[in-house]
Amino acid sequence: MEFEFSEGTIRFDKVPSSLDAFVASFCALLHARRIPYVIVSGYVALVFGRSRMTEDVDIIASEIPEAAFSLLWDDVYRAGYECINVTDKASAYREYLRNGSALRFAARGTFIPNMEFKFAKPGPEEYALKNPLTLVLNGAPLAISEFELQIAYKLFLGSEKDIEDARFLFRLFRPHVRINLLKTHLAGLGVGAKRAGGHLGESL
Amino acid sequence: MKFDPVELKKQKKRNFTERLAFIDQYVDWLKRTPNRVWSEQLKDFHK
Repeated sequence: MEFEFSEGTIRFDKVPSSLDAFVASFCALLHARRIPYVIVSGYVALVFGRSRMTEDVDIIASEIPEAAFSLLWDDVYRAGYECINVTDKASAYREYLRNGSALRFAARGTFIPNMEFKFAKPGPEEYALKNPLTLVLNGAPLAISEFELQIAYKLFLGSEKDIEDARFLFRLFRPHVRINLLKTHLAGLGVGAKRAGGHLGESL
Repeated sequence: MKFDPVELKKQKKRNFTERLAFIDQYVDWLKRTPNRVWSEQLKDFHK
């Protein structure tokens, strides 16, 4: 695997999957509207080659005013996507996003994959949004969760799939993982270092 | 049919340990494989 990693940015090129194209296309709409966002969870591992399927890509965005959301909603529909769990944009904003629930956007007429889009809540989500890693994939920027938080949060979630995702990222980017920061996140999430080390295959 | 829950739990744990070992092997392969090769193989998998 060839990549360049420096100053909070990781650059690499690859043959894109249709999932990569979907993510790039949707995030370009957020970039165009200057809406801060960060991709978290499974896609952060999948984009670097983790070999499993997913039905959604999780995006956490900064809370924006309703007027700004309305413009984004229109952009999303013009780009050929639709919201699959609510059809009315006022309800989408007031009843879903403002209440901490997620919207799911998919290519029109499809269900999977979809973008799970929500506003950041205080805690790990807000931290992820404020401390993103910039992934420049085939020349296009994507904001993704920093690896240390991603690994710690996956271990906190604790399913076999999540632990495997954490181990994948840890082993792949081991020289670039800031162990003290990882330990800080583990402690903040209440995950013991001994248990974490067991899952990651290395004492912490 | 009667199952032995203790034995099943052991099997589950062993399977998971083997999954983690597989991930380590897979990561080693990814590290030494050019992007165009592994991503070409995965592009139809990540639909």
